[in-house]
Amino acid sequence: MKRKRRTEILINGSRQLAKNMASDIEKYYSLEVIQEPQHGMVMLKTRETAQKSLFYLGEVIVTECKVMLKDSIGIGVVIGDQPEFAYQLAVIDAAFLEEVPETARWIGLLQKEESKINEDRKSYYNDILKMKVSFENMDV
Amino acid sequence: MGYVAVKGGTKAIEESIKRLKYERVHKGSTIEVEKIEAGLRGLIDQVMSESSLYSESLASLAIKQAEGNPEEAVFLLRAYRSTLPRKHVSRVIESEQMLVERRISASFKDIPGGQILGATTDYTQRLLDFNLLEETEEKVKEWLAQFHSEQMEANEESHTTDLTIPKVLDYLRGEGLIAPCENNDQEPRDVTRESLDFPAARSQRLQVLTRGQTGAVTSLAYAVIRGYGALHPTVGELRVGSFPVYVDHPLEDGDDEDGFYIGSIKTTEVEMLMPVTVEKELGKKEIEFEIGYGICFGQNETKAIAMGILDHCLENPDPAYPSHNEEFVLYHIDAVESTGFISHLKMPHYVTFQSKLDAARKTKTTAEKEEVRG
Repeated sequence: MKRKRRTEILINGSRQLAKNMASDIEKYYSLEVIQEPQHGMVMLKTRETAQKSLFYLGEVIVTECKVMLKDSIGIGVVIGDQPEFAYQLAVIDAAFLEEVPETARWIGLLQKEESKINEDRKSYYNDILKMKVSFENMDV
Repeated sequence: MGYVAVKGGTKAIEESIKRLKYERVHKGSTIEVEKIEAGLRGLIDQVMSESSLYSESLASLAIKQAEGNPEEAVFLLRAYRSTLPRKHVSRVIESEQMLVERRISASFKDIPGGQILGATTDYTQRLLDFNLLEETEEKVKEWLAQFHSEQMEANEESHTTDLTIPKVLDYLRGEGLIAPCENNDQEPRDVTRESLDFPAARSQRLQVLTRGQTGAVTSLAYAVIRGYGALHPTVGELRVGSFPVYVDHPLEDGDDEDGFYIGSIKTTEVEMLMPVTVEKELGKKEIEFEIGYGICFGQNETKAIAMGILDHCLENPDPAYPSHNEEFVLYHIDAVESTGFISHLKMPHYVTFQSKLDAARKTKTTAEKEEVRG
């Protein structure tokens, strides 16, 4: 599973999933924290719709962490002040880069979480669509 | 007169700072940052937007420290921002990626995808709700439980699988009412890294406008509509929703799927439509629409609309109106710059004022002498 999809599931899903996955790795592998969870910013490059040009919308606070597992450096980066979660994301990223055997089992867990996120999103869509206006023509 | 260096006031300043804390807590209770984050959404959105830093929790902390004064809260966040490293620049955020929670058009009733009202005060009567004086956490939890239960029941009956809503602009471009336009991928300039210069690049203008003070941006746009400008705008589309944010791996050269998703940010985005008469072949005149673009952090619709108006003004300079002059607009709407400069007038100006006094006395003496001679 590619990183984009994996991080979407981990960040939009239950925090417990990332915690359990990182814990799997901590039990059996030696990890070195290259960079402790640290606050920083991400500048948001945005395309406006009038002339379709690019500009900077502003910055968002993130927490970033880097962890080494064998020869691979995993990175965890997430919006907000979330040091533990950034560390867990870095461990999981390193595990996928190193292709440790645990990652094969994780795919099923991630897919299951993705289904739940999709269900929640459908429910969100339905909530939003209750506020859709149904116009009726008036007899005048 | 010679200059005299003076010092002193340290004790008085310490007592002043102590008194400031007293003013914040003197009623014997304090407001938790979590409660500010839970209940002051509008103020948080305004502070994040004007400080150009997206963090609901830090904005809440700044609001607490500033006792709810947005000017001071923005100053605190801008100062904090200057201490942090910039880790990444995001991948390009595209408008159609927004997970919409509100979407309306004042130009067309039947827009593709429909009008979705979302959470707004637009349809409230603006009567003070005295029931809120009696609101407790218990009552709030009861209300929430009922709300969620109603939503669940209704969702069992409907099964929407997608909320992809086409942009009104795409519809107008398809109809030929707006000139077609290709993506322009020129790297933007960054006003936080290099000083603003004139004529400003479009990217600089948009960055300054989106971080402008809500009141200043709104006032200037209001002046435009009242006649101190040359525009008759209509809201083409207004959206409130969340954009997903992605960053690339700093070292790998992977494809799109190898990037990091880092979370989402809530914004308000507006396209304002301005009718203009365009001369075509053989002097034939046609009406087309031009677009003003507005966007800001959080839900701040007035500011986003006002930004859209000013964006179009600055795209069409007109010496007759200061609102169409980018130096006038961009140099005066920043919250920290404008409030900082006005506020600095409180600082000691003893030496400069003394020299003005000396000058005033000299002119008086000279005038008196000339009067005696005369």
